[in-house]
Amino acid sequence: MIAPRAWLVWSLAAVVVALSTTNPVYRGLVVLAAVDVLLTWLPAGRRIRPLVITVVAASAFAALVNALAAHTGADVVISLPSSWPLVGGNLTLETLAFGADLGLGLAAALLAVAPLSFVLEPHDVVDAMPDPLERTGIAVATSLNLVSGFGRTFAAVRDAQLMRGWRPRGLRSWNEVLVPVVLTAIEDSVLLAEAMEARGFGAGRRTSYSAARWSARDLAVVLASVGSAALFVGLRFAGVAIDWFPYPTIDLPPIEPSLVAGCLMLALPALMRRPRSRP
Amino acid sequence: MGSLGRGRGVAAAGLASVLAVAAATLAVVYVALGPGSPLVATCAGAGPNHAALVVEHGDGSVVTRCVAFGSTSITGEQLLDQSGLSWSGETFGSYGRAVCALDSEPARYATCPGADGYWAVFEATGGGLWVLSPVGISTLSLADGDAEGFRYVSDSGDPVPPPSATGVCGGSAPPAAPKTPATAATTTATTSAAGASARLAGGVDPGILAAVVAGLVLAGLAGLRAATLRRRAP
Repeated sequence: MIAPRAWLVWSLAAVVVALSTTNPVYRGLVVLAAVDVLLTWLPAGRRIRPLVITVVAASAFAALVNALAAHTGADVVISLPSSWPLVGGNLTLETLAFGADLGLGLAAALLAVAPLSFVLEPHDVVDAMPDPLERTGIAVATSLNLVSGFGRTFAAVRDAQLMRGWRPRGLRSWNEVLVPVVLTAIEDSVLLAEAMEARGFGAGRRTSYSAARWSARDLAVVLASVGSAALFVGLRFAGVAIDWFPYPTIDLPPIEPSLVAGCLMLALPALMRRPRSRP
Repeated sequence: MGSLGRGRGVAAAGLASVLAVAAATLAVVYVALGPGSPLVATCAGAGPNHAALVVEHGDGSVVTRCVAFGSTSITGEQLLDQSGLSWSGETFGSYGRAVCALDSEPARYATCPGADGYWAVFEATGGGLWVLSPVGISTLSLADGDAEGFRYVSDSGDPVPPPSATGVCGGSAPPAAPKTPATAATTTATTSAAGASARLAGGVDPGILAAVVAGLVLAGLAGLRAATLRRRAP
């Protein structure tokens, strides 16, 4: 296995690379590297379809918003009536391309942090946090768990109401589902807070049964990740053109071979042999 | 559990297939349309007359082009259009058309001329010295042997002329090679340091080659991993 802190460093580095450039080539390579890593280390029984749907939907939304809201660019595809609020004006090839680029960046960032959720257990993520961020990490992880809990409660309450004869009839009828869901969520939060307090949350430093040992592969992952992020940040400060803007006229993005190598370094965890999981 | 595993494998395989196809498509498009591709002609002009174009960016990098044309004269706007450089402009009454962005500088602008800088236009007649053009590029007339120059200057700076156009269309400098036998138009190499060092003589840009290879390797690896997942699924 790869140590949780090495995963954390890898995710941070991948996010830095994905968001430090607007070049779609580098962002695309980060997406590919993250998918490779995720498929290599995906535990048995974990489904990635919800992640794929989320990534595709979020990216498409970002692309659509940019395409409709920005009206610059030389190559006009279609002109919407200017009387239409926000979306009225020219829809250009440049805005479509930049929207797709934004979507690619979003996909890269989402896939970069996916291993923290799909590969690691929640307590691994908390252990991987630096000590000063430990309590914040627990609070954030707990909040995120409530999101899925909220979804489960919503489905349960809706099913129960349907069995009692409730049918959705307009927006107001959803009160009969939302009110119990909110009340249940508050009750669950109070229960969770009491459980955490009973187990000594905030009373002292978090302890663990066994300390995770660092291996050569953890070190290699950290070095490759930090090297990749440093390459992008360093070359940006050195004045190398790592960005791409399609305005005013679309053009192919410039590609620096060293930055391509930097993206490839992020795929290092995908080349490591994963230990066989126990049945 | 079995259906979960199978669904995971199928979803992963589908994702990997989409990525592999996308990467391969991008690779083909990039190689076909990228710099250095034989499918893309960077100069569309043809004819016995030539005019030079010199563009000096704000960072000092210089781009030169030699454009051939058949008529006795062309406008500065036509020269820009035929040079293959990307540009955009606006028309200002009797001045004519002004250049707002040229060769991706500035990358984006809200007003033209921009708040930080603008493209100063120069003209050199018959191999002479640069003279600041009093008219826009749409009314600037260029004949055989003339040159059009652009320099991106800051709002507070003086419009210093760009480097001389001597040699851009032959003369003391090495003559530019024709891009295709069908057109006599010639293009000199980009003198931008990054571009020149990155371009292999007559070959594909090493950056594009690296990106294509990297993309195919990563997509192939994703396919392998997806196949492994599918095999492991009961």
